[in-house]
Amino acid sequence: MTDATVSRASRGLSLGASAPWIFAIVLVFVLPFLFTDRSAMTILNQIAITIVFALSYNMLLGQGGMLSFGHAVYMGLGGFFVMHMMNRIENLEWFIPLPLLPLFGGLFGMAFAALFGSFSVRRAGTAFAMISLGIGELVAASSIIIVAFFGGEEGISGDRTMGPNVFGVEWFTPGEVYWVIAGWMLLSAFLMYLFSRTPAGRMANAVRDNPERAQFLGYNGARVRYISFCAAGFFAGVAGGLFAINYEILGEENLNLVTSGTILLVAFLGGAGFFFGPIVGAIVFTLLQTVLSLHTHLWQLYAGVLFVATVMFFPFGIAGLMAMHIAPWKLGKFGLLVVPYIKTIVPGVLGILGLASFIEILHHARHAPIGEESMTLFWIEFSHFNPVPWAISAGLVVGGFWLASRSAAEMKQAYEAASTLESGQ
Amino acid sequence: MSAALELRSLRKSFGKTEIIRGVDLGIGKGERHAIIGPNGAGKSTLFNLITGRYPVTSGEVHMHGENVTGMAPYQINRKGLSRSFQITNIFPRMTVFENIRCALLWPRGYRYSFWQLLHRETDLNDAADRILDQLNLTARRDLPAGVLSYAEQRALEIGITIGGGADVILLDEPTAGMSNTETDYIVNLIREVTVGKTLIMVEHDMGVVFDLADKISVLVYGEIIASGVPEDVRGDTKVQEAYLGAALEAEH
Repeated sequence: MTDATVSRASRGLSLGASAPWIFAIVLVFVLPFLFTDRSAMTILNQIAITIVFALSYNMLLGQGGMLSFGHAVYMGLGGFFVMHMMNRIENLEWFIPLPLLPLFGGLFGMAFAALFGSFSVRRAGTAFAMISLGIGELVAASSIIIVAFFGGEEGISGDRTMGPNVFGVEWFTPGEVYWVIAGWMLLSAFLMYLFSRTPAGRMANAVRDNPERAQFLGYNGARVRYISFCAAGFFAGVAGGLFAINYEILGEENLNLVTSGTILLVAFLGGAGFFFGPIVGAIVFTLLQTVLSLHTHLWQLYAGVLFVATVMFFPFGIAGLMAMHIAPWKLGKFGLLVVPYIKTIVPGVLGILGLASFIEILHHARHAPIGEESMTLFWIEFSHFNPVPWAISAGLVVGGFWLASRSAAEMKQAYEAASTLESGQ
Repeated sequence: MSAALELRSLRKSFGKTEIIRGVDLGIGKGERHAIIGPNGAGKSTLFNLITGRYPVTSGEVHMHGENVTGMAPYQINRKGLSRSFQITNIFPRMTVFENIRCALLWPRGYRYSFWQLLHRETDLNDAADRILDQLNLTARRDLPAGVLSYAEQRALEIGITIGGGADVILLDEPTAGMSNTETDYIVNLIREVTVGKTLIMVEHDMGVVFDLADKISVLVYGEIIASGVPEDVRGDTKVQEAYLGAALEAEH
């Protein structure tokens, strides 16, 4: 790449930079026509909400270097606020069309981020993490105490269909709400992307990398973090508003540590170092959560293993794995990778499937009601007393992992060859 | 005319140990002033006191006649003082270009703006590119700063320090750990980019010191034992006893 093309590319949103956005917009419009049934629309909505939440979380983790264990607070608070608004609207006290509600959720989330951030962002690192954990627990606990706002243990619910009928849509089905959620998702993602390119956004990276150096360039690190924190609180609140609209019920679980921890997992799985990482993470995780949970009770085990494997082997997440392949692609040596990848990944996947089968059969044998010995795995019905499925899955584990580990070195070599420019070329 | 930088009976103790023991020093506008002294004399500590990195125990730091003692580093920086570090102190995960651009943001009035898009700010980006050109780092523009060679990182460090156009510049051992060729490159760079500015540097390489400095102060055990033009300092018997003689012998 010559210097001229580099500088031109960074001057404006060039074709290369806007292509992903155009692709995303097209995808948002096409998907509802590809997946028309109700459950698929529900999953799409869930993915979109998780994307907003994960991107908002990554303004802290990836962009600002702040490890938060309490980000659910701002999503939850935004959601509760929107739910109360929906109830006011239902009682004809207020007149606000549904698609505008997430904005108010965002403002409410931001107000609390402004409050809690004022003392928690003074230091990054462990101090920030511990304070975020404390605030998370505090708010989750008060949700059970302050019944008027949080509804106690039952939480609060609402009805999105009772509002003013401005657009001629009554928001009955997930397919109708999809347009509100997807619209806010695109808008939020784009705004968060733009934020990352402003002075405040760039200095957030600088403070993440080296807070001291930033000080000697005139920037107060705490102030830089505070701005990111408030902005993240806003978009978390938007996500909460979308959640309220989509599910029409909220409770303590929308504020607690489990939700805060899950979004950390999502952002990390996708790749916190990349802007689009959390988007990938949100898609993969939501699919695991929804589709996989339909097929197995043990989906959380698999999600946990995936997370641990990501941290251990791909610390830059799925997005990092994708970014690793830009160099081979640009060098035109992607072809070198195909055969080694097939030789490693196919047996590896077979090994993983074998292991999963083994665990599933074991789980069924141990936990199925007495007398129910028949189970279905990969569309095959069998009894868990039958030794053949046990043997096949054990064989797949041993054989698959053996073959994969045998060719792993070759795959690594191939990757190195494909990602470096040889001299003389 | 008030001095660009004035230290008045500056003291710093860590616990019971007094590291800086009453330093009085005036540095005129446009002067290139080198601070030399044996290891552990407190040169870096002095820098850290001037720039607000450490709180002073007693005494005052004045810049352009204004008392800046006790201000935070970012406040002192906003008044036109910029420093480099002995240990390379850059933003390793950001690109070389963005490292420089970060240094330009505050002085150019961008402050904490979240409504301006940096890639549209042509003047800013051109200025950053000009500095990269001056540093000879244009070819490295879009690499993460953390992957540069040591000398390149040192050059970048100086670029970040001078980029904002501060008029008082403190360089802490800019040539530490460099080969001769690299040292020449950095010395030329410093000479070029500090024209018309007040420069204060800590440096061990006597060649660099006598090459660049208009005035030299010798710091030994937290006190300045001599201060003046290079010829006088070189001839000072106290200095020769304490430090310079040994250092000059070691050079040859």
